[in-house]
Amino acid sequence: MIAQLKIGSDTLKRFQSLIALLILCTILSFMTDKFFTADNGLNVLRQIAVNICIATGMTLIVLTAGIDLSVGSVLALCGAVTVGLLRNGVEIPAGDLFVGFTLLGAILGGLLCGWLLGWFNGFAITKFNVPPFVATLAMLTIARGFTMLYTKGHPISNLGKEFAFIGSGSFLGIPVPVWIAAIVVLLAVFITQKTKMGRYIYAIGGNEQAAKLSGININRVKITVYSFAGALAALGGIIVTARLDSAQPNAGMSYELDAIAAVVIGGTSLSGGKGSVWGTVMGAVIIGVLNNGLVLLNVSPFWQQVVKGGVILLAVIIDKAGERRD
Amino acid sequence: MKPKSIFYSVMVLLLFVAACNNKTEKTGSKRIAVVVSTLNNPWFVFLAETAAAKARALGYEARIFDSQNNTALESDHFENIIVAGFDAILFNSTDADGSVANVQKAKDAGIPVFCMDREINSLNAATSQILSDSYSGAVSIGKYFTQELNKKGAYVELLGLVGDNNTWARSKGFHSVVDQYKGLKMVAQQSADFDRNKAMEVMESILQAHPNIDGVFCGNDAMAMGAYQALVNAGKADKVKVFGFDGAEDAIVSIGENKVAATGMQFPKVMAETAAAYADEYIKGRRDFPQKVPVAVELVTSRNIKDYIAYGKK
Repeated sequence: MIAQLKIGSDTLKRFQSLIALLILCTILSFMTDKFFTADNGLNVLRQIAVNICIATGMTLIVLTAGIDLSVGSVLALCGAVTVGLLRNGVEIPAGDLFVGFTLLGAILGGLLCGWLLGWFNGFAITKFNVPPFVATLAMLTIARGFTMLYTKGHPISNLGKEFAFIGSGSFLGIPVPVWIAAIVVLLAVFITQKTKMGRYIYAIGGNEQAAKLSGININRVKITVYSFAGALAALGGIIVTARLDSAQPNAGMSYELDAIAAVVIGGTSLSGGKGSVWGTVMGAVIIGVLNNGLVLLNVSPFWQQVVKGGVILLAVIIDKAGERRD
Repeated sequence: MKPKSIFYSVMVLLLFVAACNNKTEKTGSKRIAVVVSTLNNPWFVFLAETAAAKARALGYEARIFDSQNNTALESDHFENIIVAGFDAILFNSTDADGSVANVQKAKDAGIPVFCMDREINSLNAATSQILSDSYSGAVSIGKYFTQELNKKGAYVELLGLVGDNNTWARSKGFHSVVDQYKGLKMVAQQSADFDRNKAMEVMESILQAHPNIDGVFCGNDAMAMGAYQALVNAGKADKVKVFGFDGAEDAIVSIGENKVAATGMQFPKVMAETAAAYADEYIKGRRDFPQKVPVAVELVTSRNIKDYIAYGKK
């Protein structure tokens, strides 16, 4: 009975973000004939792929009533580590060892780096009771600092065709980043809806004390969720780096805000327990469409920021109004 | 348990600080502070590191302070520098007006300030200002731009951070030339925050609205590289000419490969080393410094690329 009710309200929320998106698209289609084309559709999807990867991880964290502010920095560090491994390998001074990496090896190395950074977030949060906001704020600075140290403040460029394919290639007419984002979303939907882990995540966000008393190993679930989000941020970093054919030391600045915006617009409650990955996808699409539409209309850069903020606020107000009716 | 863990944390922290701090704070030799607006952009990293390296070569201890584009943080740095008793400051400001008070504070405390690259709007606060002439540099790019496009066609402008005065100096210099030609039409003017990824995304969207453009002028090289990447992905790289500004490594390489049409070479090395040399002379007693030393921005194209390397001349 309770489970049924939850799914019901989730569907309604998803529906609402979808309506907001449709309204936005209709308005933009009337304002410019360049908006509603297949090319532009793919363009928007390609641009939001990174945010979808990050925001999906963020959704799982927010569902446990946590937050991750470090994703942008983790993205930058892992993107740089991936191409660093690919281009330079690892030299181990003791014993004059040199380890080279294949493309797949370097990517796995980058993902592992993200997983470990996320694991560290989760470890600090659960074992030392550091509030998620503070622990990940610290990681935001630490990971950015390590990115600067690792790149010495300079971009790493010219990464080769194979690697660039991840960012700018296409498979069956659909850009590779979009495939990656789609797989990530399906995986996260599967986890949240079909696995024990998913039920634990909702349970912890709904009522942590009750979840603990019912025997859920809260620390383990949380650490897993933060690690997963770290790995997804790393994946985003690999896509960004491949798209630009360059690892930028300042990549991913303020991406955490876009990810949180997508989660919130998608109707996931910041106090945890309520929301869905699908909602976040809608939220990311709304942000992407807005970014794209404002440029298509050549709106002044000053006004763009005002409009974006306004739309985020409006989307959440509509969402809350629906919740109250519900 | 609690006090114990705090104790351990403090010990670890102290160990780390001690490790970071090896062989600075040596007594005896004089010290020069390098305060830079940001270290999130390779150009400024180069500026700061060159200034510090030159100061060290002249026999000083040098420390770099990163203001993270935040004038308030810059103010904190100046206070710390004054308290710590540095002998000179090599300074790259966050804000032409907002930074004046900081410089004045140092001057009042008897510490000379030498501005690099970015101007501050005061005629007597800094001992000397060694400045990059963004406006004139953009004028020469504008001239080359009109010539390359044969005075007609549609173009796009990507602006830097809209709150930054360099953004507008470059934009105004460029338009002072290009706007005189009726055949050149700007179809879009958007900001990409001096950021490579943002420039690529903005350019992708602009290409949807305006598939047939002839040129792109970007307020820095990072954006030029991003715009170029978007053009490559759209299969239009050979039809659209890209112009940047800075003289960063990627852009210099790309001009050599005929991917980017031109950039405005600034000379961070010249500015940083002049500032460090001035500071050295000040400490040794010289007082008559020129208030402003303009460092010209030079146009780099495929024709003269062989004379240039990243951030300077061969």
